[in-house]
Amino acid sequence: MIADEATLAQLMTNSQKGDQQAYTVLLTEVQLWLERYFRRRIAPAQLDDLVQEVMMAVHKKRSTWDSTRPFLPWLAAIARYRWVDHLRKAYRSAEDELGDHDAAQDSDEEAVMARMSLERLFVHLPDKQSEVIELVKIEGLSIKEAAEKTGQSESLVKVNVHRGLKKLSALVEKAE
Amino acid sequence: MQRQVNPLIAELAADLEPVRPLKIAYGIALAAVAAIGTVLLVEVMEGLWRGMLAGRASPFYFIANGMLGLLGASSALAVLRMAQPHVGNTHDGARWSFGMVSILPITGLLIMTLQGNVSEVINDRYGVSCFTSGTGLGFIVAAALVFWLRRGAPVSLNAAGMFTGVAAGSIGMLAYGLSCPIDHAGHLGIWHVAPIAVSAVVGRLAVPHLVRW
Repeated sequence: MIADEATLAQLMTNSQKGDQQAYTVLLTEVQLWLERYFRRRIAPAQLDDLVQEVMMAVHKKRSTWDSTRPFLPWLAAIARYRWVDHLRKAYRSAEDELGDHDAAQDSDEEAVMARMSLERLFVHLPDKQSEVIELVKIEGLSIKEAAEKTGQSESLVKVNVHRGLKKLSALVEKAE
Repeated sequence: MQRQVNPLIAELAADLEPVRPLKIAYGIALAAVAAIGTVLLVEVMEGLWRGMLAGRASPFYFIANGMLGLLGASSALAVLRMAQPHVGNTHDGARWSFGMVSILPITGLLIMTLQGNVSEVINDRYGVSCFTSGTGLGFIVAAALVFWLRRGAPVSLNAAGMFTGVAAGSIGMLAYGLSCPIDHAGHLGIWHVAPIAVSAVVGRLAVPHLVRW
């Protein structure tokens, strides 16, 4: 089970002071949280890379967490930022088929998680944009395959992917 | 079963050093110093208009400059907050202030149109100098905000860029406006607001490249 908000915040406070032991525990928890957070929103073969990328970003920008505010919304904002970046760079890989790894969420954190989830971002996109982003950037289909599957022309698929990613990057801090 | 420890975690932990958390209060102080410095620069270069203290300024002068000040403060605060990412960050104060200031050019144009003096605004001999000076002076606040964003971890880059421009334009224009004795609605509503729009576009285009991480 992943530590709760209060524990993570305390670990981060100690980490900002240079406590290596607290930091090791924190990063281990962060890794678990991120794996769950990104599941089904990134191709499985790319999950580790993305999680590591976010952990390095957390390390580099750890001074930007404000101890008077909760930890998880800070982590989620960084995770979303890197995720959108990652989607932009996503490439096709034959092994990238999504499994059903939807993990159960701890009840205490459920409401918070729901507000910060990646699914919430897709809600703000038109269906045509979210559909092609899922197919091309997450499932790894080619533009041509996505066009055949959705009935959109190839150029429309490209436009919708581009517009959708642009919109996602503007929604990184959006909670609702 | 014990989960294998990620070697990256061990590496990052070994690299850990104490950090001083980014405090927004320092950012506010930095922006305030930049704003005050801009006003002092105007005093040295042009001299502030003493007429406003002598009661010769119109009410519109105080209203317009007050609105620019509020817009500058709310936009700068939004930018400072963006340096610390957080799902749930909103910038509604700055957005509403931006909408509020848009009343100025509308009022200016309306009054000048009703009075049949629109050409006066276009041919305003001091308009361009107010516009260029206000826009140029905004660079001091813009530099301070970009410095702060680079220390932070902004994740809403386009919004950060646009609001940096809005804050720079409004504070730069407010500072220069304190030296400008022209206090009618046409001049203030058009030439003292245009720098904000231009700075917002410049900020939106330029700042994301400077603060991307």
